[in-house]
Amino acid sequence: MQATLQTSEQNNSLAARLLVFWRVFKKSRTGVIGLGMLVFMILVAIFAPLIAPYGRLETISVSDIYRPPNALHIFGTDDAGQDVFSNFVYGARISLTVGFFAAFISIIIGGIFGLVAGFFGGRWENFLMRFTDIMLVIPDLPLMVVIVALTKPSLLNIIFVIGLLGWTTTARVVRSQTLAVKSRKFVLRARAIGAGRGHIVSRHILPMVMPILVVQAVLVISLAILNESALAFLGLGDPTTLSWGQMLNYAFGRGAMSAGAWWALVFPGFGVVWVVLGLTLFGQGLEQVLNPRLDTHHLMPSRPNVRKEAANAKPIPSQALLEVQNLSIHYVNEGQLPARAVENVSFSLNEGELLGLVGESGCGKTTLMLALLQLLPSAGQIVDGRVFFKGVDLTALNEEEMNKIRWSGISIVFQGAMNALNPVRTVGDQIAEAIIRHIPTYPREAIPARVTELLDLVGIAADHRDHFPHQYSGGMRQRALIAMALACNPQVIIADEPTTALDVMIQAQILELLDSLRKKLGLAIVFVTHDLGVVAEMCDKVLVMYGGVTAEYADVDVIYNDAKHPYTVELLKAFPDLTKPKKKLSSIPGYPPRLDALPAGCRFAPRCPAAFDRCHTQQPSLHRIGTHGHIASCHLAEVGSTVPLRRIAPRTQK
Amino acid sequence: MNRTRIILRKVAWSVFTIFFVIILNFFLFRVLPGDAARAGIRDPRLKKEAVEMLRVRFGLDKPVINCFESLNPIELGSCNVNPLDTQFFIYVRNLLQGELGVSYHTNRPVAEILSERLWNTVLLIGAGQIFSIILGMALGVFAAWKARTYLDYGAVATSLIAWSLPTFWLGIILLFWGSSNGFPLAGKATPGMSSMPLLQQWGDIARHMFLPTLTYTIVYMGEYTLIMRSSLVDVLSEDYILTAKAKGLSAFQILKDHALRNAMLPLVTVIAINLGFTVAGAIQIEAVFSWPGLGSAIFEAVERRDFPMLQGAFLLIAVAVIIANFLADLTYTWLDPRVQVE
Repeated sequence: MQATLQTSEQNNSLAARLLVFWRVFKKSRTGVIGLGMLVFMILVAIFAPLIAPYGRLETISVSDIYRPPNALHIFGTDDAGQDVFSNFVYGARISLTVGFFAAFISIIIGGIFGLVAGFFGGRWENFLMRFTDIMLVIPDLPLMVVIVALTKPSLLNIIFVIGLLGWTTTARVVRSQTLAVKSRKFVLRARAIGAGRGHIVSRHILPMVMPILVVQAVLVISLAILNESALAFLGLGDPTTLSWGQMLNYAFGRGAMSAGAWWALVFPGFGVVWVVLGLTLFGQGLEQVLNPRLDTHHLMPSRPNVRKEAANAKPIPSQALLEVQNLSIHYVNEGQLPARAVENVSFSLNEGELLGLVGESGCGKTTLMLALLQLLPSAGQIVDGRVFFKGVDLTALNEEEMNKIRWSGISIVFQGAMNALNPVRTVGDQIAEAIIRHIPTYPREAIPARVTELLDLVGIAADHRDHFPHQYSGGMRQRALIAMALACNPQVIIADEPTTALDVMIQAQILELLDSLRKKLGLAIVFVTHDLGVVAEMCDKVLVMYGGVTAEYADVDVIYNDAKHPYTVELLKAFPDLTKPKKKLSSIPGYPPRLDALPAGCRFAPRCPAAFDRCHTQQPSLHRIGTHGHIASCHLAEVGSTVPLRRIAPRTQK
Repeated sequence: MNRTRIILRKVAWSVFTIFFVIILNFFLFRVLPGDAARAGIRDPRLKKEAVEMLRVRFGLDKPVINCFESLNPIELGSCNVNPLDTQFFIYVRNLLQGELGVSYHTNRPVAEILSERLWNTVLLIGAGQIFSIILGMALGVFAAWKARTYLDYGAVATSLIAWSLPTFWLGIILLFWGSSNGFPLAGKATPGMSSMPLLQQWGDIARHMFLPTLTYTIVYMGEYTLIMRSSLVDVLSEDYILTAKAKGLSAFQILKDHALRNAMLPLVTVIAINLGFTVAGAIQIEAVFSWPGLGSAIFEAVERRDFPMLQGAFLLIAVAVIIANFLADLTYTWLDPRVQVE
């Protein structure tokens, strides 16, 4: 949507804008169907005299009342001996006219009210919005009935009554959109350079409000058509014209029911349904263009795990507490090539160990962690490899078996600054929930004390237990999440960037807390971060990821003293070293590759200061260096490689 | 801001809105042409004394309000009259005493007729709302849970079609179907049922209610389904749902304990806003099925040009909707703890 808006802003000609719109719109099947239905009925209305076999309100024969559909009268005849099909075709004119004109009035009023309220604010806004609120509460059809009953039921009156009462939701929608646009940068800039109000509204705000106004118009038209038909049915229509509602009023009031003349009752209503459904579907399509929704959520199952090896291949048994073997994860979206988010990553973790998982944002760290707990989003799929926890292959478990391991075996700490806690339940309640789920034998009366104890462990006072997340500060929320992760005494805790978005003091506190808990409780921790410096102090092993692959994996000392992969070296340069305060910090130019557009060779090659020809064509495999499980995926680390790492000489001192 | 103050503010706002409706209701019938009372008085066949007597009887001898003798046609009058002795204040005073005038058609007090009919409408809307909310929610939850499967597409398509149906037309179709399947065609009870045992009476009412309630349920279910679905999909893509899943909760537990309450919030708002439209549906359904409620009171009042009845019915409906809106607002405050501290 952003892309379409930008292009449409550049191309000012209407035809170009429409073309851009159509290109996006046609992808929505419902939208196209709806537009087709609508256009069809509009054409019927326009060419009514050509389509209708009989004239408008032409009585064929008084004796021909309520004739069932036949070759002469495909929709049968009505109470006055008129051809229902002809009346239906002409009725389309009336119903559509009333709908469009009434909606036009509503949209103009609602649009002006919304724009004025949103743009000028203050008293205007207060007055208009209060008025809108009142009108919104007053039931509109009864009010329409009263007004039309007290005036002459002419077509014009009906249009005005429906139009003058149908603007409330439009005013609200336009106001909130105006408010949103008003504070956008380009509007503020225009104001700063002294552009007039009229100019700002017509050139900056209106174009941004217009799309929403169009969607709203579609809804208002359909409501106007429904209201017109209801008014006409209730006997308040213009008796001299025959809208679909009026046809139903006559048929229902003049014995179609007892005559069994279903055709006089079904077809006119079908016209209303056709138009309203067409409008609704069209509106859905528009909405999809303006505000595309993926419609995915966390309860949708991810794609089934698969493995490349033969079905009868025996897994290599795992001795470690947690071991990941050659894990590969793809994101599969229909009509697109799969995005290779994680490829061939392995690591292992023992009790009491802390693994630092390092890399920039978008390098597959979170995907890897979610895959450990089998929590991948619906497009995610484990396409190769295994995850062992205490010797059990988690990739082979079903959802129910996996649920037993989640939290009681492996728990995860999400970023607390995000919405990781349910806003409508107290923090204590959410911690207790985990205990009840995993330790059903835990005495209920002891749970509050246990929750207090957990909160105490992370330094949160007991009286915050029954508070809601919004009453916590960011640091407290993060610590509460850690307390929650500890609730069921897990052996492994995954901490997924738990300190991002927190200030330095709180960061240090949280790190210290995790480290002390590890020592106290013998936890194994996977600590995900994009900051090598954060983990320097406390971790045992470091896994550096880049673009979804292992860049380097080694003990922490090796990483700091003998890094082989240029990416690790660059990352090391990017954080301050207290022992060398004068040293210049450097950042790595560029960004990690997009997962749907990975480079052909080494994924780091485009940014690598040491890249040579081969790096751009051939993906390096994982090279084992030395005997201590040091692994790097770099052509430079190949055994026997003679290419010196001159430009990126590793530091020898920590 | 604490809860009491929020509630007090909402109460004050509702009272103000009711007052606005009263003013609107009074002046609509004075400004717009077509009030039969005045039309009758203008009948040239009436003698002067008779006209005067009618004017006194309907209170039309008094000015409409200070400075205005009449509003249609506009006749200015003295501004120095006792405000309590104007038509407007007499109207307000009568309202406060529960007086809504006398029906032209039946010559009975409007308040009496409406109070009988109010409960029939409450019964119909109540039953219809309960069924449509339950079914709509269930279908919406189901569609959201199974999002982007054929079950979901089916539920959404059904809802869109249901939303597009004109209420009265669906009523007619169901009535047509019901008439050949032994359902009662009109009214609330079979005549003569009042001598039967209570249980049988209730059974009879339930049979009469079936088609109107079914119509109501289908028409409103679609919208509730769509809103529940989109609201739940939004909630289910929140981070805290992933937390809940990581905690090892089953899909059912997540829906029940983490998603539904949060997803209900938009639905409650829509139910509240919908109450106005709901009444629109009730009028149409009552007209089709001759259900003796407020809606058919309006329908009949229009047919018979029974203006006191129309005025009273509109006022009662509007006030009922405002109160129901207020209650829905309170529910919202209770459901979402964040509202309290705002």
